[in-house]
Amino acid sequence: MKFLSSFASLLFLSSLLFGQEVAMLPKDETGKYIYYEVVSTGLAEDSLKLRSLDFISKNKKEIKLKSIKDAKTVLASGKIVITKSLAMLSRPTGEITYHFNFEMGAQKYRFWLTNFEFIPYQKDRYGNFVPSTTVGIPLEKEPKKSNADQWEDYRLQAAKYATSFAKRFKDHLANKVVISKPAAEKKVVSKSW
Amino acid sequence: MKNHIAALSLLLLSTASIAVAQEKASPLEISGSVDTYFKYDFSKVANIPTYFANEQNSVSLGMIDLALKKTTGKASFVGELSFGPRGQFQSIPDAIGGYDPATNGFNIQNLYINYAFTDKFTMTAGYMGTFVGYEVISPMANFNYSTSYLFGSGPFQNAGLKGTYSFSDKVSLMAGVFNDWNVYQDFNGVSHFGAQLMVSPVEGWSAYVNFLTGRSAGAGADGTIIDLTTSYQITDKFKLGLNAADYGVSNDGGGYTGAALYPQYAFTPSVAIGARAEYFTFKGTGGAPDASVTSFTLSGNLKAGGLTFIPEVRFDNDSDEYIGFVKSNLTPSKTAAQFSLAAVYSF
Repeated sequence: MKFLSSFASLLFLSSLLFGQEVAMLPKDETGKYIYYEVVSTGLAEDSLKLRSLDFISKNKKEIKLKSIKDAKTVLASGKIVITKSLAMLSRPTGEITYHFNFEMGAQKYRFWLTNFEFIPYQKDRYGNFVPSTTVGIPLEKEPKKSNADQWEDYRLQAAKYATSFAKRFKDHLANKVVISKPAAEKKVVSKSW
Repeated sequence: MKNHIAALSLLLLSTASIAVAQEKASPLEISGSVDTYFKYDFSKVANIPTYFANEQNSVSLGMIDLALKKTTGKASFVGELSFGPRGQFQSIPDAIGGYDPATNGFNIQNLYINYAFTDKFTMTAGYMGTFVGYEVISPMANFNYSTSYLFGSGPFQNAGLKGTYSFSDKVSLMAGVFNDWNVYQDFNGVSHFGAQLMVSPVEGWSAYVNFLTGRSAGAGADGTIIDLTTSYQITDKFKLGLNAADYGVSNDGGGYTGAALYPQYAFTPSVAIGARAEYFTFKGTGGAPDASVTSFTLSGNLKAGGLTFIPEVRFDNDSDEYIGFVKSNLTPSKTAAQFSLAAVYSF
């Protein structure tokens, strides 16, 4: 009996630890899921830009730089690999792609993740899982009844990822000092004119 | 009670050790597929020699395919086993290189080890699905269930050692040395050289130019294949694929040449229709004339979760009567037509 009650307490504890509710992402004015945050900061714009680019380059497996617009905006695209897991086994079933936008302003910056689209994986000739198409299905699209649970899980995973991404991004911008590479030492060749 | 506590402690300890282990290695991936089909040739004789969907008026087996993959740091392996006609004597050789259904028992489609030296350069060694061609053995990765003449005539697997360098997301180059086509052991040394150039000029468009040349054990001439495999997702719903290949054997030793076009239209993510139009020529050997065949296949893909139904009709025209189609009374025919319905479940 004592054992059972200890086991139940353990289960309850672990459910508290691991079973934290993840809220679904809100939608923007166009009806797309979005993670949006404005952050106040004391950092200068050039530091913010350097740090954001450093974050992207250090996480290149999940996010890739697309362009830098008007020196204040960084655009990137990323992907979240969705895996189905059971005990120690797992396999990727697809990926959710997204767009990342970062804008710097006076004493603040804002960033948002949007355009979440699911692309199913299929196995290639070498036994690896690869995207089956280049056309993603927007997460906003209402699923069929048979696929509803799975689709809900993709939305939750996108929300969970966006929250974790935002935390890592803000930490990186707040704490990571990026030293720009010093310019190569200029040598004067005195033997030639 | 002590036993329970000990068991619980062990469980917690093992969970903790799993968590630690997972930091270093990815979990073991297990995936696979199962397929079965019914085919009916309208002449009531199994005419069209497509690989795999070849048994007439029968609910027949494809294969059960099981793949394992694991990545630890920069190293990974893939081991893929298959059982059933499609996965054994119809697609992989036995120990002595034959396709005898009585002796075939190797069951290996892929068995290789991969090491990523850098983000851009990887090396792979082992027995791998071929890099040549559009269609593949696994029914999960093909749109049509029956396969093309190009697929059936080209290599299925290439064992070897290859290096792949990615210049960018848009360009990569592979080069390697390989055994003879479709053998676990090369009896005349590692005698083939192969290369693949991949370019992806715009998003959704990828093209592979493949090259494989060498002399197989016991052959009196060299065989060289040049293959173009490309696909372009032109709109959200329309995709176009193309495969063109030329295989020539020196000293007038024959070979083949052909091209196949693969237009596909997706009405929804779960419902799509696709065609394959193929022109294929068997090159004559020793001065014999070439023989050509045309083939048109129309397939549907109806998906529900991991299950895909593939209803399909196929019409072949063997104008040179090279393949030997017959009518229901067994007299020669230049044409053949068939219907098939396949179910493929992937997991």
